[in-house]
Amino acid sequence: MTGNPDLLAELVEALRCLPGVGAKSAQRMAFHLLERDREGGARLSRVLGDAMQRIGHCKACRNFSERDECAICANASRDASLLCVVETPADLLAIEQATGYRGRYFVLMGRLSPLDGMGPQELGAGLLQQRLASGEIAEMVIATNPTVEGEATAHWLGQLARAAGVRATRLAHGVPLGGELEYVDRGTLAHAFGTRLTME
Amino acid sequence: MRVESQPAYVLHVRAWRETSLLLEAFTRDFGRVGLVARGVRGARARLPRSLLEPMQALRLGWSGRGELQTLTTAEPDGPVHALRGDALLSALYVNELLVRLVARNDPHPGLFDRYAALLGELAEGPLLAWRLRCFERDLLAALGYAMQLGTAADTGAAIDPDATYDYLPEQGAVAAGSHPGGVRVRGSALLALDSGALPIAEDLAALRRLMRMLIGTHVGERGLQSWRVLAGPLRSG
Ligand SMILES: [Zn+2]
Repeated sequence: MTGNPDLLAELVEALRCLPGVGAKSAQRMAFHLLERDREGGARLSRVLGDAMQRIGHCKACRNFSERDECAICANASRDASLLCVVETPADLLAIEQATGYRGRYFVLMGRLSPLDGMGPQELGAGLLQQRLASGEIAEMVIATNPTVEGEATAHWLGQLARAAGVRATRLAHGVPLGGELEYVDRGTLAHAFGTRLTME
Repeated sequence: MRVESQPAYVLHVRAWRETSLLLEAFTRDFGRVGLVARGVRGARARLPRSLLEPMQALRLGWSGRGELQTLTTAEPDGPVHALRGDALLSALYVNELLVRLVARNDPHPGLFDRYAALLGELAEGPLLAWRLRCFERDLLAALGYAMQLGTAADTGAAIDPDATYDYLPEQGAVAAGSHPGGVRVRGSALLALDSGALPIAEDLAALRRLMRMLIGTHVGERGLQSWRVLAGPLRSG
């Protein structure tokens, strides 16, 4: 403690970079690690250091990866003719966990948003165009969020696919399973109504 | 201060902390306001997230003072505009215009109504670029930078549709080549923008350059992000 009397304060301050962690919880975390779990704290610091050093972006899909190419892109059993475009790594995980999708991905790391300064360049347009031009992809599944910016992004992605002669599809969105029309919000209902399907 | 049921549009949404959103809203009687919407993200949100998406007619209530106030209520105020494709990109551009050019807490009820009408026009589809130019003209006028479109700034004579002018940011239209700088336009383009009658394609393209130059003088060196971000995606604006 004599060398650096502010180390504890610095630890508390550093923990506050985590989402949802204010001054009080940061203090609680710091005391917990120091009093009860020094081993856990040491492991956290080791792994955190490694992760911050070594995790970069996959050169093919832009997802987080510690290797040049992520596990999904490197997996030869995945269907290379399908490319699903998502906004974030969390969206990719959600699709992986909820669906039986066996194709590949492209992660935009954001969405088209002038006010946030997010444009084609930030979203990896060059790399995506390369992949579309490779001739390997038969269908691009556009899985951006059903928000205004997600829709704008989808429109732009559709243009890229068309220019490359690749078929583009878009996730359907509408009334949630188990939902009742009466309780579905107006925007969702209006959208579901506007994109209704022919009954087979 | 407590405001209830104020006609408004959300211009921009940003996630904030774990469960909140930061809204940039354009309201009829209070101008542009910054609002925090607490507890509206995640599974237990107290309002449907879709309600706070940009470009929908809303009635908002809020309380507090200063730069960032707290959203208390939000209700829809009309049907949902079906903005798709280029119309949606155009509306994103207009939202950036409003955020960058309209100061917070500075009421512009006329401009608010004009914006509401524009969203309806964009949803109809055609003539996006022309509708944007007319809105830009009205926006500049509302902010006190009205363009002088009917008469030449140097001679005071009526604009001749067949003559060529240089439009200078401070002065207005002067005889082509008589002053350095400005954007070259035909008189017919200026008269079209003045009257709101659809110009020919060549004039429309010149007006695009003109409005961009004028807006550029107000938003500063950095320019609008939309010019860079939407340059590829938006083909018609
Ligand atoms: Zn990858």
